[in-house]
Amino acid sequence: MYVELKHINKNYGNFQASKDVSFGIEQGKLVALLGPSGSGKTTILRMIAGLEHPNSGEILIDGKVVNDIPATKRGIGFVFQSYALFRYMTVFDNVAFGLEIQKVPKDEIKKRVLELIELVGLKGMEKRYPNQLSGGQRQRVAFARALAPNPSILLLDEPFAAIDAKVRQELRSWLKNMIEKLGVTSIFVTHDQDEAIEVADEIIITNKGRVEQKGTPIEVYQNPKTAFTASFFGQPSELVDYKQFNTFKDLKNVDKVFVRPEFVKVTKKSEQQFYKTSAVEGVIEQIFFRGNTLELVVRVGDNVFTARRGLDEELVEIGEKVDIFLYRIFVTSGDEAHLVQNQSIREESLVI
Amino acid sequence: MEIFDQKEARSRKITKYILIGLSVLFIAVMLILPLASVIVNSLREGVDYYFKALSTDYVTSALVVTFIATVIAVAVNTVFGLVASWVITKFDFKGKNVLSTLIDIPFSISPVIAGLAFIMTFGRLGWASEIIDSINSALGTDIQIVFAIPGVVLATIFVTFPFVSREIVPVLNTVGKDEEEAASILGAGGFKIFRKITFPHIKWALVYGIILCTARALGEFGAVHALSKTRGGTFTLPLEIDALYMSGSADSITAAFAVSSLLVLIAVAVLIVRNVFEFRTKSKNRKGK
Repeated sequence: MYVELKHINKNYGNFQASKDVSFGIEQGKLVALLGPSGSGKTTILRMIAGLEHPNSGEILIDGKVVNDIPATKRGIGFVFQSYALFRYMTVFDNVAFGLEIQKVPKDEIKKRVLELIELVGLKGMEKRYPNQLSGGQRQRVAFARALAPNPSILLLDEPFAAIDAKVRQELRSWLKNMIEKLGVTSIFVTHDQDEAIEVADEIIITNKGRVEQKGTPIEVYQNPKTAFTASFFGQPSELVDYKQFNTFKDLKNVDKVFVRPEFVKVTKKSEQQFYKTSAVEGVIEQIFFRGNTLELVVRVGDNVFTARRGLDEELVEIGEKVDIFLYRIFVTSGDEAHLVQNQSIREESLVI
Repeated sequence: MEIFDQKEARSRKITKYILIGLSVLFIAVMLILPLASVIVNSLREGVDYYFKALSTDYVTSALVVTFIATVIAVAVNTVFGLVASWVITKFDFKGKNVLSTLIDIPFSISPVIAGLAFIMTFGRLGWASEIIDSINSALGTDIQIVFAIPGVVLATIFVTFPFVSREIVPVLNTVGKDEEEAASILGAGGFKIFRKITFPHIKWALVYGIILCTARALGEFGAVHALSKTRGGTFTLPLEIDALYMSGSADSITAAFAVSSLLVLIAVAVLIVRNVFEFRTKSKNRKGK
């Protein structure tokens, strides 16, 4: 493990921002710290950078404990959410700052800075000041500045939060490519799960100061291990009374039940449905057009949840009675989450 | 409809000119006329007398004392102001709000009370006088605080110490810590961060604060009055003006006006310097965009 946190605790007065946080990150990986705001992800990032100090626990970089090494000496690149560009310096001077402190010879600085500015696609803008750049351009300067001294680790705090949607999409893939090309171990903080899934090699989910789960995007998405992950990841709806779906009757120790849109099959009364006998009747309450799909809010008894239908399927209407079949559900008991298959699927597959 | 619009436009125009007229009138009566009368009165006995009045021993001594007190007070308060603003904006600690309120005390307290406070501290009955006596006997010196120049300097420092930090704190608060954190992660040490990142932000606020501090130090009367009793020895310009005026003869009143005109001219010069700075900053910003 290149970066390792061991039993980190951090308090701000009475507020515990990190509770026994432990994880490791392999060299060269691009990792997302994902969680709702206030979940302690930025605190973790700032502790790795040395801007905050844990109350207990160890932070290791490349096998060495760095708790007592100040931020100045850790050799880390950091991209701030606000970019924190030096507003009284030009783009060139911003990127050159770290190299000047290392007393790199002038001509080498010039070469490296111009190289980086070209790399981030801002050639010709060396003499501009930060207030003469767009949000996306500032982000690129912040990125170049962080990379200039060849850091061993790159940390990014909500790198796309302040950029408008269209540019954000562009920058995401740009940043992913760039980090892959450079091979620098990177950790970025985000509250946007699409962003984490799309950009990261690995996702670390945080909640209330704790690490909930860590894994590749597919692992975390398909197998939420904790109650929080099941309730947070994907687009889950909570089922108030799962017993109204006939096929999940015999569950024990159930705290909460969640269903994702892709677990729900909505069929019109006139349509064929393989599991017709096990389906229950529901009513369409709302319909949202999402471009490539229709998002439906469906009611079955007291349960209200989200489902989808493709645009190639026959249209449904608000108030229409439909057949609802749930393939699977997430069941949480205590801190754990389990995936439960619909019984009728098992039975029929046994018959076949 | 059109007539109505015209009517409204006209009444708006009238309001505008009435308000401008009132402001100009107020400034003329309250500020310009009194200050102009100072200049006019100072020249009543002719230019020769004017310069003679300015070059008496009392006046030159007062000028020197004022100069010393102002330079020391501004230097001390600049350093103090920078340190205090840094502490208040960059660190979190208990009692931070109390500290920031305490800095404002000279704004709210009457300067005379400040002067008396120093007498009660350093005077013959004050708790600190024994310490000073023992220092004097140990080192063989003869340092006097009260009714001597150090007292005048102390009083001036006291009344002027909020000015610099009051200008800088709001600027540092709006700027935030991000840039400094970014610089420290890139390897910059404390002094380098201050010189390269923080100082450019607060440069103009600092100049502004120093100018205000200077103006206040030059004009301080109350606190200094309590601590300075020797004309020609520890008197500052404002005290000398008061002494000249109080002595009551027509000549000395004209002399009082002459010395006053000196302070008025210095004040005007300070304002001009300030505006030049302001103009430069603005035109520089415009170039930047």
